[in-house]
Amino acid sequence: MLSYLMPLEPEKFAEKKIQEIQTLIKGKAIIACSGGVDSTTTAVLTSKAIGDRLTTVFVDTGYLRKKEPENVKEILKGLQLNLRFVDAKEEFYEALKGVVDPEKKRMIIGEKFIRVFERIAKKEKTEYLVQGTIAPDWIESGGALRDTIKSHHNVGGLPKEMKLKIIEPLRDLYKDEVRKLAQYLKIPVSEKQPYPGPGLAIRIIGEATPEAADIVREACAIVEEEIDKAVIKNKMEKPWQYFAVLLPVKTVGVQGDVRAYGNTIAIRAVHSIDGMTAEYSKIPNEVLEKISVKITNTLKDKINRVVYDITNKPPGTIEWE
Amino acid sequence: MTSQTSPLARLNGSKVKMKVYVVDNGGQWTHREWRVLKYLGVDTEIIPNTTPWKQIDSEALVLSGGAPRIGTESTKLGATAEYLDNLNIPILAICVAHQYLAMNFNGEVGQAETPEYGKVELKVDCNDELFQGLPKKFYVWESHNDEVKKVTKDFTVLAHSENCKIQAIKYMKKPFYGVQFHPEVEHTQYGYEIFKNFLALCRR
Repeated sequence: MLSYLMPLEPEKFAEKKIQEIQTLIKGKAIIACSGGVDSTTTAVLTSKAIGDRLTTVFVDTGYLRKKEPENVKEILKGLQLNLRFVDAKEEFYEALKGVVDPEKKRMIIGEKFIRVFERIAKKEKTEYLVQGTIAPDWIESGGALRDTIKSHHNVGGLPKEMKLKIIEPLRDLYKDEVRKLAQYLKIPVSEKQPYPGPGLAIRIIGEATPEAADIVREACAIVEEEIDKAVIKNKMEKPWQYFAVLLPVKTVGVQGDVRAYGNTIAIRAVHSIDGMTAEYSKIPNEVLEKISVKITNTLKDKINRVVYDITNKPPGTIEWE
Repeated sequence: MTSQTSPLARLNGSKVKMKVYVVDNGGQWTHREWRVLKYLGVDTEIIPNTTPWKQIDSEALVLSGGAPRIGTESTKLGATAEYLDNLNIPILAICVAHQYLAMNFNGEVGQAETPEYGKVELKVDCNDELFQGLPKKFYVWESHNDEVKKVTKDFTVLAHSENCKIQAIKYMKKPFYGVQFHPEVEHTQYGYEIFKNFLALCRR
């Protein structure tokens, strides 16, 4: 960073926000927390402000990554947050049946989240919902003059009628600034890669069935595992975000001397600072090859083709939907 | 963040923070402009583009880009014409605002034959304060469907790219600059330097 710049000062920012939260929330509140950098940092900040008047709600939508429910529960408990885990898998699967349009998916997921939070808020006797919304969420959600690029579940995906008052302490920050704040607050997930609230549902192009979720979950795990390994071995720079997308494109292949006709997985990995611009990661071919072989061998007749996405943002976005 | 520690303020021997508004034309990167100005130690605020020009009490303006198409939707750019006609403070007009700046002073604008999205090599054509201390070629990030086709003699063209002849302009009658690319995004090289050079004009 250039010497004359004056970046975010996490200690001052935290102090100011804790005071603001204390002024805003007199009674109890709930926070929507996915275990990612933004919402976990918001949870810790809010809990510093109002202590155990805060309930941290973590929802399993059925579109979480491999082992994520267990990992997140452990992390949130370790942070001494008052955790409430909700298994809403069936509810989300049911709501997304037959839905193909990416904006519709995002709207439905946004609404489902709110209905879950309303139920918990009623039980907790509060009307305040704290969210880890950051700048790109509301910018890309659009409104008035600004075009809607994608409706983030926590902003553009909110239903018109809802019983909760929303508080968003980090709405003017970008991911790199949130990470800085998270490091200051000693939050162990400060370097975790971004993961969208709608999760795997928007990494499945077409209908997000539970079966499709299983396929892309496995493919995402392989992409993460192989790239993490390559990064540790210094074969490549750690991308900002890296994952797999399941495409509804079937192609002909041959697996074990037998004709195959399976779906396609696209690998996406980008370099970015704030998510507002991005360039595709220059992953070494040997790493891409390892991922490709592992995905097709693991997912067998489901997947017989793997491609790599070489689009920057703009014109692409980071996630495909 | 005190004004005394702001290098720009120090540079100018002033203890008061410079005030610069970002006029929001609905761009994806309007808030990035706000962030860059903040990081440069400026007192900044995002204001709607319908703010009447008489209410502008800042030392400079940054006019953001946005989704409106210059040919058919320029009314969505609110009071932009008022700012350009009535104000005499430094103005940095970005993307669609850059096109508006050219159009407002009798230039020609229209749909780009080849639009540019993402990484583009910028070629600086002219020694000017805006690009002071920067190389003659560097990479910038773009996102536009329209462009400036022609400017009058009241403008100097400062830079171009392979597919866009007019990437940066300077209006000679007032301290107004237009850039087709986006100096406010992380992927543009020397973005902070361009803003810093622009701000240096404000304290002269």
